Amino acid sequence: MSEAQAAVTGKVLLVDDDPDMLRLLAAWLKAAGIVAQAAQSGSEALSQIAISRPDVVITDLFMEGMDGMTLLTQIHASNPLLPVIMLSGQAQIPDAVKATHLGISAFLTKPVDRETLLTEVRNHLRAAEASGRERTGFGAGVVYRSAVMTELMEQAELLAQGDVTVFISGETGTGKEVLARAIHQASPRREHPFIGVNCGAIPEQLLESELFGHEKGAFTGANTKHEGLFLAADGGTIFLDEIGDMPLGLQVKLLRVLQDFEVRPVGSTRTVPVNVRIISATHNDLDELVQSGEFREDLYYRLNVVPLRMPSLSERRDDIPILLEHFLRKHAERAQSRKKRFDTEAVEYLCTAPWPGNIRQLINAVELCATLTKGEVIPLAMAQKALRDKPAQIQTLKEAKDAFEKKYLISVLRITNGNVATAARLAGRNRTEFYKLLGMHDIDAASFRGADSE
Amino acid sequence: MKEKIIVPIDPDIADLVPGFLANRRKDVDKLRTLVQQGDFAAIKLIGHSMKGAGGGYGFDPITDFGAAIERAAQTGDGATVLAQTDLLDEYLQAVEPVAG
Repeated sequence: MSEAQAAVTGKVLLVDDDPDMLRLLAAWLKAAGIVAQAAQSGSEALSQIAISRPDVVITDLFMEGMDGMTLLTQIHASNPLLPVIMLSGQAQIPDAVKATHLGISAFLTKPVDRETLLTEVRNHLRAAEASGRERTGFGAGVVYRSAVMTELMEQAELLAQGDVTVFISGETGTGKEVLARAIHQASPRREHPFIGVNCGAIPEQLLESELFGHEKGAFTGANTKHEGLFLAADGGTIFLDEIGDMPLGLQVKLLRVLQDFEVRPVGSTRTVPVNVRIISATHNDLDELVQSGEFREDLYYRLNVVPLRMPSLSERRDDIPILLEHFLRKHAERAQSRKKRFDTEAVEYLCTAPWPGNIRQLINAVELCATLTKGEVIPLAMAQKALRDKPAQIQTLKEAKDAFEKKYLISVLRITNGNVATAARLAGRNRTEFYKLLGMHDIDAASFRGADSE
Repeated sequence: MKEKIIVPIDPDIADLVPGFLANRRKDVDKLRTLVQQGDFAAIKLIGHSMKGAGGGYGFDPITDFGAAIERAAQTGDGATVLAQTDLLDEYLQAVEPVAG
């Protein structure tokens, strides 16, 4: 395989109103190991791009309805960097000039030559891969290209400059610590330590001593003085992971640290000033824990000054191809072996898998596939084996709507402390309809009422 | 019986070729009807599609017929469209794709 034909990953969207042309181009790309999806009109293409951003778009110029030029303009209105290759029946110079002005990546004449097209596509996919791989500055090491992650990282970069307390929510395995580290690395505290501690993994007694330190003889086994992680992180950042699992007794002590920026080691009568930035995270719904009394409300507000939400992998499926590529490369570097690649079917399968374990599960799957595959190409069967053949568990539209509706009703009732009349007004429904909705979802408005409400 | 035209086919697209040729046979009938109806806009579209895809599937003459039909449609030249359609029809009857 020549350098020009070397394997690349990525997804190409084909747009043509001629089904025979779509089938031909899709077959060429598939034979080259490139995932292709097809749209038979400009409007269908725009819908597909909104759902799942491709790496390259190939469109015909002359189409019924929306032509290629209009499609190009509309694509670049929302995705200015998305490469668009245009195919034209005639080598019409005015069209080519206009397309160039509109930011076309390549203008190829039909009937298009297979190798010319594949070379163009490979060049653009390589460039897309590189942009995912060689990110420098803020978020170096965080692999993404999806809109949801781009927005999150832009927000996090702004926060990094200041000293504000950040709270990161997100499912287990989404990379909350990676984000916390990125914020620390971009902050003025970067020359000082970043110390992560999993509050859910350490017993309460030990956690207090780990966080705040202890004096010699403070408890049985405390043979030496221990300074604690807050002091060890002095000048830097402390990352309190799984803060939702922190015992209530310790929450009070943490609150004091946040209020006074002083720690009192176990067994000591004096406090020690500490200068740390606190980033906390949890996979739990802290709102619910506060509601149920398992998490202190005052601490919650101290920690949740700026909330960031790490999306689950299923919310950033656009990132899956470059994440697979990234972790295959890392595996090859570690194993000092030739980098392997997933075949087209395997990439498609992995891009639509449910991923309940998020990126952590993806890393494990890539490791398993790369280790157990003898050849250079990892087939679909191996990918399925790595995920133990679990079929994609995509919710139906009704299930998704029901889930959203229930969540919405709960949040409105929480805001109104269970006052149905107010909640119904906020939701734009009358009371009867609102009660009916509550009944459908088995929600009891009374359970949201505190002592000071209706 | 007319001589067969043997065309070697790229194995990557071999399973698509029968469908492609079947669609062109349908185009022959459509083109004759469209000339009768004087619908040159629709004729131009068919010619354009044939021109774009023919060579890619390995059938350069289909690209040539398509280009000629598209050109003729632009000037409303029904006689040329019909003549090219007849040539396309003959070609489709004679062509025999074989694994390349």
